[in-house]
Amino acid sequence: MRIGLPRALLYYRYGRFWECFLAELGAEVVLSRKTDEEILARGLAAVSSEVCLPIKIAAGHLLELADSVDAIFFPRMNWLGDKLFACPKMIGIVDVAAMLVGNRVKLIAPIINGNFMSAHLKAGFEFTRDPFRVSQAWKKAKSELKNTSIRSDHAQGVRDSTVGVIGHFYNLGDDFIGRTIITTFRRCGYDIITKEEIPDDILSRDNGFAKNIRWIYERELYNAFEYLLNQVAGFCVVVSMGCGPDSLVAEFMREQAQKRSVPFLLLVIDEHTGEAGLVTRIEAFVELLKRRKMPRLARMTAL
Amino acid sequence: MKVAFPWFGYDTLALQGFLEDMGAEVVLPPSTSRRTMELGVKFAPELICMPFKITLGNFIEALEEGADTLLMAAGARKCRFGYYHYLQERALRVLGKDFTFVPITQYSAYDFIFRLMPGLFGVSSARVMRGVYLLLAKSALTRDFRRLLNRKRAVDFDQAEKLKESAIAMLRNARTLREIKNVRRELGRMFALNGRKPELRVGLVGEIFFTVDQFANQEIERELARLGVEVVFERCLYNHLRHLLKIDFGYLRSRRLARSYLKECPGGEALRTTGEAIWFIRNRVDGLVHVFPFTCMPENIALEALQRLSERAGVPLLSLSFDEHTSSTGLITRLEAFVELLRRRQSAGRISGN
Repeated sequence: MRIGLPRALLYYRYGRFWECFLAELGAEVVLSRKTDEEILARGLAAVSSEVCLPIKIAAGHLLELADSVDAIFFPRMNWLGDKLFACPKMIGIVDVAAMLVGNRVKLIAPIINGNFMSAHLKAGFEFTRDPFRVSQAWKKAKSELKNTSIRSDHAQGVRDSTVGVIGHFYNLGDDFIGRTIITTFRRCGYDIITKEEIPDDILSRDNGFAKNIRWIYERELYNAFEYLLNQVAGFCVVVSMGCGPDSLVAEFMREQAQKRSVPFLLLVIDEHTGEAGLVTRIEAFVELLKRRKMPRLARMTAL
Repeated sequence: MKVAFPWFGYDTLALQGFLEDMGAEVVLPPSTSRRTMELGVKFAPELICMPFKITLGNFIEALEEGADTLLMAAGARKCRFGYYHYLQERALRVLGKDFTFVPITQYSAYDFIFRLMPGLFGVSSARVMRGVYLLLAKSALTRDFRRLLNRKRAVDFDQAEKLKESAIAMLRNARTLREIKNVRRELGRMFALNGRKPELRVGLVGEIFFTVDQFANQEIERELARLGVEVVFERCLYNHLRHLLKIDFGYLRSRRLARSYLKECPGGEALRTTGEAIWFIRNRVDGLVHVFPFTCMPENIALEALQRLSERAGVPLLSLSFDEHTSSTGLITRLEAFVELLRRRQSAGRISGN
């Protein structure tokens, strides 16, 4: 059975786990190709113009896969842990997927209601009737769930030429969206740290203001922000236009950053965002960071 | 203690009546205007949705009028509505006025009756329960008023607009169950159709604030009625209150009907919007109008469902998202084009004998 895995949204978080899990179950995993203009164009034509960029891209990936596979594996993240919800669009995209491609391919969409494991075990029975094989597949794939992207040079604390790039994994992980931002910072001599490189126990903290945030990934973003607040040279917050949770949480972050006078750059992206515009803004931001590090006299003479 | 809360269409009267029953002095902010919205936009984050900006503007104007206790509803925190009060309180503190901000968390009627209201106004729980009962009765009355008004306006626009003011005065003064009953009878008489029937009917679905508040939706019901269209609706304070008290059977129906499109609730009112749209189509409306604030998350998912639904059922859909830049001229042009389409379909249907 050829089973499609759209390279969008939760793929950037659980992708390796899903690939391993499905392969263990004997399915032939077909990944959609990396996001490009064509996939975006297909997505744009399929969904309403008001939803955020990652959703449009996800729709494009689904349509792309629908032509070449027997089934699409597209789990629905509803809530996890302490009733922390995914965002409404992420919950709803599975229904949109059913409307878009449901009549052409089978959609395997386990619902994750707090329990990651049982949802996947249940989905496993779509492939095989052997419970032993399903549990073996889960056991083998489980190790892929761990956050393995923690770089050792960040473990001891970050350097002062590091910028915290706060954004969703499906935005920063997708080269089509995030690559320009990351490479521009690197080119300007700044190292970046994203929330993926921060240990899980810090991301899932529920004290302080983060307690009030009931969206899983937003809480992680806010915790990452708070953790990095006194460590990095500045923050670049990447928000997709029309993202509901981010429009609030970015505001809370801006407030905190202003209070401590930490430089803060808010990048709002959508399908019309040009690369040149992003680069210019980041370069201007980097210029600001460099100025702040100079001694006062040098700052004045640099003018 | 001077209590204020944001405008909520005609249902403002019902809410005001409830707070007065609790013995509070209500300072109603001046009705929402261009200025309200500009104030709200000025102090709100740029990318947040419209209801936040409008209600924030209401609060600022209420503070100017001397209110010192602000009441704001809060939702389930799946959609942004649940977070409004955090940001609104912060934004208002910046203005430097002294006030208490009371978020009224929904979804726990018990908490509301036994803790929140007695704690706030020093009244007994029994009195709160009586107040809630009256609030239900009165919001049912405002719903009936809106229904009657929409129907009357569609057949006799000028007459209905003339009667509106006196009807609102009657609504305001209805305080007991008996008075509410009398007013309902009187309204039925005032807005009688005298045998005429509206030519077209459209169903209004969407986000609750935008379906209920006349300023937010730029009087969409009136503009449609001017074109001879009756607007039918399900969203109103009455149904929402029943939902909170877990006795809203309309919601269960919507959820059941929406299941063929949306299997899980994405938060907000997506299930209701979809379910109500299907219900309206079954009841043979001529078209559907979907209103929601720009970038509303649940409604955008519902919109995907509505588009497929409208294609499949052959019922035209007009989907309108509002933000602070939506001009009323542009809106009216779109409505006129939509109604023209409905008329053509109707006459084409008549000729072909359907």
